[in-house]
Amino acid sequence: MRTLVGWGLFAVMAPCPVRVLPAQERTTVGGYGEVHYANPTGPKTPPVVNLARFVVYLAHSFDDRLAFRSELEVEDAKLEGGRPGGEVALEQAYLDYRVAGWITLRTGLVLPPVGIVNETHEPPTFNGVERPGFDHDVIPTTWREIGVGAVGTVPGGSGLAYRVYLVNGLRADGLSAGEGIREGRQEGRQASFANPSMTGRLEWARPGVKIGGSFWYGGTADTNSAVGTGTFGAPVALLSADARYDNGPFAMRAVVATISVSDAEAINATYGQSVGSRIAGGYLEGAYDLLRLFAPASSQKLNAFVRHERYDTQASVPAGVTRDRSLARRITTVGVTYKPTWNTAFKGDYRLLRNAAGAGEGEVLSLGVGYQF
Amino acid sequence: MKRALALLLLTAQTPGGPPAKVAASIARLFGPGARVDTLQVDSGSVLRVSRADSLLGFAAVGNVLGKDQPITFLVAVDPTDRLKDVDILVYREPYGGEVAYEPWRRQFRGKSARDSLRVGKEIRSISGATISVHAVTIGVRRVLAQLTAWHASGAIR
Repeated sequence: MRTLVGWGLFAVMAPCPVRVLPAQERTTVGGYGEVHYANPTGPKTPPVVNLARFVVYLAHSFDDRLAFRSELEVEDAKLEGGRPGGEVALEQAYLDYRVAGWITLRTGLVLPPVGIVNETHEPPTFNGVERPGFDHDVIPTTWREIGVGAVGTVPGGSGLAYRVYLVNGLRADGLSAGEGIREGRQEGRQASFANPSMTGRLEWARPGVKIGGSFWYGGTADTNSAVGTGTFGAPVALLSADARYDNGPFAMRAVVATISVSDAEAINATYGQSVGSRIAGGYLEGAYDLLRLFAPASSQKLNAFVRHERYDTQASVPAGVTRDRSLARRITTVGVTYKPTWNTAFKGDYRLLRNAAGAGEGEVLSLGVGYQF
Repeated sequence: MKRALALLLLTAQTPGGPPAKVAASIARLFGPGARVDTLQVDSGSVLRVSRADSLLGFAAVGNVLGKDQPITFLVAVDPTDRLKDVDILVYREPYGGEVAYEPWRRQFRGKSARDSLRVGKEIRSISGATISVHAVTIGVRRVLAQLTAWHASGAIR
């Protein structure tokens, strides 16, 4: 339960015939965070502990329809001039206007609704200490940009929900061979609006099932005519599909994505990179709650899981680039997630980092804790 | 908590019968033309639904906090305290609205206060709507327990 500042904690009101609560301003505080321990194999790679994320969720309702929502994040615990690491950033900050149940208008710093983890990234919601590598190198979570859009559910109980936004574009000068579009994100900091881009998602839900499809389309040239011209100069086109299934003891999830960078050759010529013309991959994960076998009455969970990721940030390359096969990654993660409550998690996993070149491979043992409230 | 509750009750009471959304929900669950009386019990109120001389059941409205907005729901029971249905009367948040879908609400039908109603066991969750799923399940469990207790004690009849 979240805390309503000035209202104390309220969970369930006594039954009373009330249709709409009185319009009242109120502020809500929540948050999530995670602490990691990572021990890579091999010499001279000591284990590292890190307060990876500390996020404060702050929301305010101005009336029954208008609300502000935000997430302020501290990464790696500390930020200090001249020292490496650390980041303070807004992950989300927007105003919502609820026109009706089926449409809420939104404007501000928003999350492109692509894949599973970008929007639903609280540590207890995913298995594994670290987010999947795919959700770093292919879908660059936590991806956020500034724009306007609409979110809602399709009326009539069809189980369909949508989100669609017009936001600032990516920047070609940040694209890279190894991390794809990741450093092309502008993240709301003096972002160029030269290439307004569209992103959206349609999803279908049933108890225990969610299936979604997402897209992003927009130029990246900014104002560099050597890369491309016009609003959609040097476009990035992303298509992704995802599925989640959970029947209580057994859960699975899968995501695939393909990203086309059609003017990769011009981008590489201009910025001296080796950006792939196609970035693609996905992962499949299965989990089983072991407590169903040992303590079926328990409401806690002990999920044993295995995840296999295959992705390549140079799935295709433009003329002038030799494919680096070490970028064709195959990551297998096995581990457990212990959840004493649905919103806390203690995690442990072992990751096998492999690639098609067989170069620079390794294994990592990780431990972590995560929470959300 | 007490102050908030008092404030809410003060502004929430609607003289002259239930509001339109509640009335529509009752009509859907118990059939059209059912008679609805409002019973005052302790700090809350319960709707008694009857037709002619026979009792059809009871209903009560609850509010539970989702991520940052209250979710207003209705719980209806039959005369044997079995849950007829749950209705989401007002959903105010941009995410998690799947709790209003019939396939999710259907899971509560026929349950009683003796059932534990836990997410992940009796009640299947919905990915991306976890907070709302837990909030509404807790809310339904409490309102169902309250209605059952009041019915057993004769506070509502």
